[in-house]
Amino acid sequence: MIPFILKDLKIMMRDRTELIVLLLMPFILIGILGFALRGIFEGDTAALHMDVAILQEDHEEEGIALFIEELENKSLPFESIASLTDVARETSPTQLLYTMLEEGDLSEMVNVKDVTNIDEAKELIQREEIVAALTIPDGFTFDSLQKMLLDEGEGSELRILMNESGSLHANIFHDIIQQFVKELNFEYAIAMASGSEGTNLSEVEEVSLGGIDTISTREPVSSLQYYALGIAVMFILYVSSTLASKAFVEKKQHVFHRILLSGTHPMTYLSGKFVSGTLISFLQLVILFLLSTFVFQAFNPVSVNFWLGIAGISAILSLCVGGLSMLLTSISVRYDSDAVSAIFSGGVVSLFAFVGGSFFPTENMPEFFTFLGSWTPNGAGLTAYLQWLQGYEGTTVIRSLVRILMITSGVVLLSIVIFPKRRSKPS
Amino acid sequence: MLETEELRKVYKGKVAVNGVNLFLERGESVGLLGPNGAGKSTTISMIASLVSPTEGDVRLNGKSVLKNPNTIREVLGIVPQEIALYPELTAYENLKFFGRIYGLKGKKLESRVQEVLSLLGLSDRQKDIVNTYSGGMKRRINIGAALLHNPEILIMDEPTVGIDPQSRSYILDMVRQLNEEKEITVLYTSHYMEEVERLCDRVYVMDHGQVIASGTKNELKSILSSEEAILIELDREYPSLTRELKGDETILQTLETNKGLKLIVPKGSRLLGKVFHIAERHEAQVINISVQEPTLEDVFLHLTGRKLRD
Repeated sequence: MIPFILKDLKIMMRDRTELIVLLLMPFILIGILGFALRGIFEGDTAALHMDVAILQEDHEEEGIALFIEELENKSLPFESIASLTDVARETSPTQLLYTMLEEGDLSEMVNVKDVTNIDEAKELIQREEIVAALTIPDGFTFDSLQKMLLDEGEGSELRILMNESGSLHANIFHDIIQQFVKELNFEYAIAMASGSEGTNLSEVEEVSLGGIDTISTREPVSSLQYYALGIAVMFILYVSSTLASKAFVEKKQHVFHRILLSGTHPMTYLSGKFVSGTLISFLQLVILFLLSTFVFQAFNPVSVNFWLGIAGISAILSLCVGGLSMLLTSISVRYDSDAVSAIFSGGVVSLFAFVGGSFFPTENMPEFFTFLGSWTPNGAGLTAYLQWLQGYEGTTVIRSLVRILMITSGVVLLSIVIFPKRRSKPS
Repeated sequence: MLETEELRKVYKGKVAVNGVNLFLERGESVGLLGPNGAGKSTTISMIASLVSPTEGDVRLNGKSVLKNPNTIREVLGIVPQEIALYPELTAYENLKFFGRIYGLKGKKLESRVQEVLSLLGLSDRQKDIVNTYSGGMKRRINIGAALLHNPEILIMDEPTVGIDPQSRSYILDMVRQLNEEKEITVLYTSHYMEEVERLCDRVYVMDHGQVIASGTKNELKSILSSEEAILIELDREYPSLTRELKGDETILQTLETNKGLKLIVPKGSRLLGKVFHIAERHEAQVINISVQEPTLEDVFLHLTGRKLRD
């Protein structure tokens, strides 16, 4: 089998057109897509930067003091009063709002300035120095605490001022505040549901923060990383159609007959295609990942363990490409036609790339779409790579790898069934 | 040494080969003649065990090879009509690949590759990519790939198609050398009658899937021993002249050639004067006229009614 593998490798290395298709094109695509869609993937807030104003009409300290005073007049157990007093002092809605806007990710996007009256805010909006102004009304702290902790009163309302036509930035700011209010209400709802006798806010915080924690511990994937992986898993599929079209030429030019005349078992020839497909696609992945790392800085800095995982996934994915090479070769040789491999490279690869997520993440697509994608070699491979990149457990990554191995077994068995075992039709 | 018995191949309801019997003695050089579609390539493919016959048998030294094709594959070298090589590889790499799949290794492989390259006269170009070779050089490597395992029988399917006269001459000399010096048995198919006349001891003529004549060159020519050919070279075509000659009962066959007409007439019929007279009547300008003994081409025309390259 070794002569066949060496021969396929040499032929591939000398075919400039194929090298361009297999290496240069994906490299260029990784660069174009990776840089062009960088903002979307990495949540680049530079483009969304906005200036807003806050008109603080509320008197926070007075509101908290008034709430505690009201609380002490209630006929509640001493422990409950003490607990709610602590919570009121620690959970000021105004402070929560300021913390959200001035700390963390939003601080890079939203620049907050204080205004003293509504006319000043209007003037700033007219002069387009700010996109919107948020008014925290008088009594906001007291009314919010009354509603949140005692379920009394109507709560309070935040008011946003923006120009008549609005703007993308103003609308985004509106959405941010709306989300904040929703979260407050959510916490309040959980607090109310957590017990009939008063509230236990420490539990509320645990539940709420636990949910956020789960998401934020995963490493974010950059656009360059995504497309280095997505485009690579797409372009390795072309290896199989290339090998199959070369097998078709071998048959057409009677080289295949010459090989059979040497006493070589047809299965040795077919196995050679499997190993060649596996090796060439693995080399292709190695080259594309190295180029992405050194030219685009897509994967630095990373550990040896990370690269071992990537190598493992690549090896399994390459086996699948080897299997596809076998299948397309079998069809080409059996039916004396390279139509199927042409259809595969001309349409099926693009379709696989589309549903498999090579062009864009498919997580928000309909379930049937993502299901189809997960059963494509590139889709399953991309999922495995992304999971490994984001630090998922090995057991999670293995699910995608098992899927790839199942596809591989299927195509290998099918190709063995299809491949002519001994003799061929007269030419 | 090698024989076929009532070999028949039906493909998609069409009879490609019908009851072909032929044999090759050790060290013989045998020609297989026939126009396109005569069934030569299918016959060769069945002998080589690449295509299974619908009926009949192929025997090597008296034993059928149909059930165990490897017995014939070991002793057989096939030179297909197509350039069955990898154009992206060098001549050396091509020969090394085919040598390896024949089981040659190490020094034995290296020395055999160099021997073959020397025989082909391509030692100095062995590191060049085959794609950069001339048609004649590609044909030579195509033959070389069939010689690596020292075959006892060499089957060549039109090995000189589309090459220059110099390369053709080199290949014919090489085949003669292999046959005479290395005692390789040769089955040679060609469109070029002169090649078969030059190389082969015996000839099979195939048409429409059947062997229509066989024998030594002289035996075949004796089919036309009572006839002779008059070649008339004309300055242009004269349809009325051709019509009149075709209608003349004393002329056995009137055939149009590239340069004029060929008349098959009974030997000693002395028709030259009559032919001149008819040509003069049609105001035809005769450039040359000659009488010749029948060739294998004439035999083929006689047997099939058409030229070999039709």
